[in-house]
Amino acid sequence: MEDNNNAIEVSHVTKTFKVYYDKGTELKEKILFWKRNKFENRVVLNDISFSVKKGEAIGLVGRNGCGKSTTLKMLTRIIYPNSGSINMNGRVSSLIELGAGFHPDMSGRENIYTNASIFGLTKKEIDARLDDIITFSELEEFIDNPVRTYSSGMYMRLAFSVAINVDADILLIDEILAVGDANFQAKCFNKLREIKNNGTTIVIVSHSLGQIEQICDRSIWIKNGQIAMEGKPKDVHLEYLNFMNQERIDQQEKERLKQQQNEMKAREDEEKRKKEEAEREKRNRRYGTGDAKFTDIKILDKDGQEQTTFRTGEKMILDLSYHVEKPVKDAVFGYGIFRSDSLWVYGTNTRIDRFDIFDIEKDGKYVVEMPNLSLIPGQYWIDVTIEFGDGNPVDYYKKALNFEVVSNTQDVGVARLDHDWKLEI
Amino acid sequence: MINQIKAIYEYREMIFSLVKKDLRGRYKGSILGFLWTFINPLLQLVVFTLVFSVIMRAGYEQYYLFLFVALVPWMFFATSVQDGSTSILREKDMVKKIFFPREVLPIATVTSGFVNMLLTFIVIFIVLIFSGRGINLMAVICLPVVMIVEYILCLGIALIVAALTVYLRDLQYILGILVMALQYLTPVMYGIDIVENSGAPSYCIQLFYLNPMTPVIEIYRDILYYKQVPQLNTLLIALGMGIVFVMIGELLFRKLQKGFAENF
Repeated sequence: MEDNNNAIEVSHVTKTFKVYYDKGTELKEKILFWKRNKFENRVVLNDISFSVKKGEAIGLVGRNGCGKSTTLKMLTRIIYPNSGSINMNGRVSSLIELGAGFHPDMSGRENIYTNASIFGLTKKEIDARLDDIITFSELEEFIDNPVRTYSSGMYMRLAFSVAINVDADILLIDEILAVGDANFQAKCFNKLREIKNNGTTIVIVSHSLGQIEQICDRSIWIKNGQIAMEGKPKDVHLEYLNFMNQERIDQQEKERLKQQQNEMKAREDEEKRKKEEAEREKRNRRYGTGDAKFTDIKILDKDGQEQTTFRTGEKMILDLSYHVEKPVKDAVFGYGIFRSDSLWVYGTNTRIDRFDIFDIEKDGKYVVEMPNLSLIPGQYWIDVTIEFGDGNPVDYYKKALNFEVVSNTQDVGVARLDHDWKLEI
Repeated sequence: MINQIKAIYEYREMIFSLVKKDLRGRYKGSILGFLWTFINPLLQLVVFTLVFSVIMRAGYEQYYLFLFVALVPWMFFATSVQDGSTSILREKDMVKKIFFPREVLPIATVTSGFVNMLLTFIVIFIVLIFSGRGINLMAVICLPVVMIVEYILCLGIALIVAALTVYLRDLQYILGILVMALQYLTPVMYGIDIVENSGAPSYCIQLFYLNPMTPVIEIYRDILYYKQVPQLNTLLIALGMGIVFVMIGELLFRKLQKGFAENF
């Protein structure tokens, strides 16, 4: 232990897992199919170092598979690092699994003893805490009934009550805070705060960033086996969410491009079939006299690139090209934005926006620029129309385009209204 | 090593809990439940008595007693080895998710078998009295000594096979066969006197004495069947082997347990 003020010291830890193609555990498999035992070394954690002061609470965040649970398991000594060292200063208790050792035929009370003993408590220590545990679980009535008669909620509450009443210097929690109803969760949370105030060092792995922000002094973001960022939870989480959103946009883009490629390949063979199918579909979603028809409709981002995913507040551009069969006198262009549950978010057209009356006689296009798309995250679609001045449709195209909005702010509703806070407290 | 023993001692409540859970599972609050654990040895008792005392007379009077007092300690050994080897595999969910000194699992298995044997001894005493053979109290006082030596021997072997079986699953089946064979190569169904008078070459007879269970079984029989105070010094080799097994077992266990959670 380098610094005695530290409860945890992780020093240059690397962890590699052997990913077997098909592992043989039997002698026969090990001898006959030795080729199958080939494996790939997968580096899960790459030279990680961090320390936690006594009494500090930190959160570990990162996408699935980044190594958070592996780190926690190494702190618990269930798994050992390939290189580097881990020092724990104090009694360690880890809540990775609830209800270990529960025997269905034994009563709740007896199972408390079994479960607490697995956490390393002696009989005396368990006797001292028994009443607290039972009271916390709110299962006084049923505590002497066999556990197999419990509902799954009662089961979880009992398990959690034991776990949270284990006195430890260092408490490691892996994604089990999401247990029980809202009241019980609040109770657990308060108990966790109490524990922290008593000087216990806490490490939490969770996807619930809100919970981490409420309890932890620091967050560590693990990305690709290394520490991407360490610091105040709010700051780290913002970066982390930005990264995840960007990844989502990139992923959607990748999928869209891939889809484009596939379509191009299949186009030669399936062109006719697709055309017929598309026509049939469009006939259901599209109606009007047909004097003019949309030919090419696109959504673009601020750089003029086709895009379907936007952040709240970004610029969105509708680019709609049309072909004119028969000239239309007093034409009106319009669009409507709908949310995926059919809520009509906004709609307008050139008449409402007081354009001078105009006719269309040749092919052209109209572009709608929305400099600030302040919609709340969700899925949306757009109807686009060309109409006569009296409202009769020339080409009303329902659900012509789909798009998605993402954001890393958690406001709710339909759209973000600009606002300023002024506190006088 | 000392630190490890301290760590295991701290978890003694977990060992008690596991043993209680195991006995609970076996006996489940009924006398009949207790008797069920007898079916296997009882069946062996009946069959072997038939073979060795009626069909092929081995010449022991009250053969069923001769066999019973040896069979029960043998069952303790056999289950310690066989259940011991799967003790970690069986609780792999716990091992993957919780920290505790892994030695607790084979220790609990062997201890549970030991308690089982003690309870069965009550029945042995009852049977000895009712059969008219009686008990020699001076000899019975030596019983704890041989029980402890057997416990140490079983623990050492359990530690070794428990750790190895995680990596080589077949071991549990291989052990089943080996233990069965060993039952015939140990003087359980017959006395060591038959071996010595058999005229087999002396190296064969020496092999019998290499088997640590031979002196153990002989002593049980001296105490309970022959009603003689046993020659405890014959136990020294068995005790020595037991201690060596425990030490090797613990060293091996410490090394191998690091990879348990990943190798399930």
